[in-house]
Amino acid sequence: MSPSTSRLDVGGVDTVVHRVGSGTPVTYLHGMIGTPPSAPILAAAAGSSLQVTAPCLPGFSGSAPSVLTRSIHDWVFHLSAVIDALDIVGQPLVASSVGAMVALELATVRPEAFSSMILLAPLGLWDDDDPIADAYATTLGGQRRLLTTDPTATESFYSDPDGLEGDELIEYGVARYQTRTSAASLAWPIPDHGLSDRIHRITTPCAIVWGDQDAIAPISYLDRWAKALPNVSATHTVAEAGHLIDWDQPQAVAEIVAAAI
Amino acid sequence: MKTAFFHLMPYPELPDDFPETHRSVWVDIDPKLYDPKVGHRAYNDYIDELEYAASVGFDAVGVNEHHSNGYGLMPSPNIIAASLSRSCPDATIIVLGDSVALYNPPLRVAEELAMLDGITGGRIVAGFPVGSPMDTIFAYGQNPSTVRERYHEGVDLITKAWTSDEVFSFNGKYNKLRYVNVWPRPVQQPHPPIWIPGGGSVDTWDWCAENDLVYCYLSYFGYKAGLATMQGFWDRVKELGKEPNPFQGGFAQFIACAETEAEAWDLYREPAEYFFNTCLHVYAGFADPPGYKTPNTVRAGVEGMVERAAREATARAEANAANAKAAQSGQAKPSGGAKQISFEEMVEKGYVILGDPTQVTEKLHELATNMNIGHLMALCHFGNMSKDLVKYNTKLIGEKVLPELRGLFEDEWEDKWWPKPMAADERQLPDRSASTLGVSA
Repeated sequence: MSPSTSRLDVGGVDTVVHRVGSGTPVTYLHGMIGTPPSAPILAAAAGSSLQVTAPCLPGFSGSAPSVLTRSIHDWVFHLSAVIDALDIVGQPLVASSVGAMVALELATVRPEAFSSMILLAPLGLWDDDDPIADAYATTLGGQRRLLTTDPTATESFYSDPDGLEGDELIEYGVARYQTRTSAASLAWPIPDHGLSDRIHRITTPCAIVWGDQDAIAPISYLDRWAKALPNVSATHTVAEAGHLIDWDQPQAVAEIVAAAI
Repeated sequence: MKTAFFHLMPYPELPDDFPETHRSVWVDIDPKLYDPKVGHRAYNDYIDELEYAASVGFDAVGVNEHHSNGYGLMPSPNIIAASLSRSCPDATIIVLGDSVALYNPPLRVAEELAMLDGITGGRIVAGFPVGSPMDTIFAYGQNPSTVRERYHEGVDLITKAWTSDEVFSFNGKYNKLRYVNVWPRPVQQPHPPIWIPGGGSVDTWDWCAENDLVYCYLSYFGYKAGLATMQGFWDRVKELGKEPNPFQGGFAQFIACAETEAEAWDLYREPAEYFFNTCLHVYAGFADPPGYKTPNTVRAGVEGMVERAAREATARAEANAANAKAAQSGQAKPSGGAKQISFEEMVEKGYVILGDPTQVTEKLHELATNMNIGHLMALCHFGNMSKDLVKYNTKLIGEKVLPELRGLFEDEWEDKWWPKPMAADERQLPDRSASTLGVSA
């Protein structure tokens, strides 16, 4: 399937959906900087045996922001509606960071939502003695350096594209701000919405993937998740990858996913 | 024109090398730097200074709210206002203000301001800031994407609580209250005047203009830099077909007055440099959490006041660090890194209005007329100024400057946003007799 981007109304939220590749269906849910069309995971998937459907949550990557997403529960209800609307219930899921957090919350109440989950540095657990870094107490450039090992990996998100001028350039900046706003609202002030109280309900088999240079969630969290999740199928460490593993090492992630499903 | 003596209450003894050795004066300032005995002295000096201002001709005294902040020791402005409500028996007390979104439920704000209005006999101005990102988002952990919605809901709740003559239920998104019933009720009816301190959000201009609220720009950077922001507000007022009543505007300004200009340069250099180079050493990473700005403000490209301060402070810190590194390695000093803002620059750019009483009067007149400001928040204390110097500055301004400005706008415009207290002969004054205080004669 040639890459495509479409829009879909989900509960009144104009939702961006990317589709790419052909083969085994898999759903991809983004991390902190959404899924712009330039996201490297989409290009990696195009060359694999995967057929990826990548919806963007409210406010991310051109999906409309929603005033209805005030609490983690609102995000979970919305994701539930998204997979219904796209008719992708029961597909394997690959999810990163804040997207993985929402997906895990959904899995606690809707076990059939995903047949399996490949979690890329999920957020949602917290240890006072080993805190998750604050991705927002920094400048735009500082955040960029925190999220990936190679800051140029996220060039297409953090830098303005060549050729844009005037209102188009302004709106590009507003959209980037909106993506960051939605991610911040999920992670603020501490990315722990009580998942540890209900994580025992998750029966979905989960593979956990961590970047060995994650500057947001220390790699020590890989073990925490492995102990907390009831059904862990595998764990992987990806070399030279930061928090947004699929931006630093998209090919490695695509290979892990293809092998897992 | 009416003038308030406005106090920020900075911690006066931050170390000289603070900007080089610490990341920020706000949010993560080192708790070990705080000496409670210094704090004790500062609080009492500062309250003395506010009381003194009320005795030498200022129309009002003003306080505000900051958290985890080395230049603002007032997490609760209402506590200071409560102290002043008895010791300043005639002055207006401007609480500018209570960060509504940080109170849970914000009914607490309605109650405390009603108490203050009751104690003072109706001399309270109720200020409702959204609050800076440092205060609300970082120090108090509010979600930046919902803080403004929470704030507006809180203001709605407070005003309804003050004005409803029935017990009511409030089913908000953030506040669920079965019984809302504020006792005591404010003296001022329907409620104390509401002023909104702003830092540059274009939506705050709209909100104030549409709802006839005072827009008060509490800038660090003086009247020259503040002109564009105030003009943005007045443009919205005119676009809505409303009159540009100067009393709907307020502005904060540092003022350094002495008998002669030369003396002012001598007296105020150190405290001004302490404030602008040490107290405003704010880390840029705390200035712009995504979601705090409205999309309209992002679209308009408006840089908030604290955002500018933090950006400039961080740029200075980075330049100084680069200079130090270059010096250490024996390289030539890189160009472009200014160690500090000079006092001359502060005065030239209008951050500080400096001069003898005549010069200060002229500049404040220019400020008020150019910006169309009927309410001036005079910052006569800044940095680590001694109490004696504050009193000197305050007395000159109160007795020689303000009388020249007081009539400004008064003939042409009505100040609809100034408190309307009970008549003087109805108001009860503090009973200072020895017997009441339990002191034997």
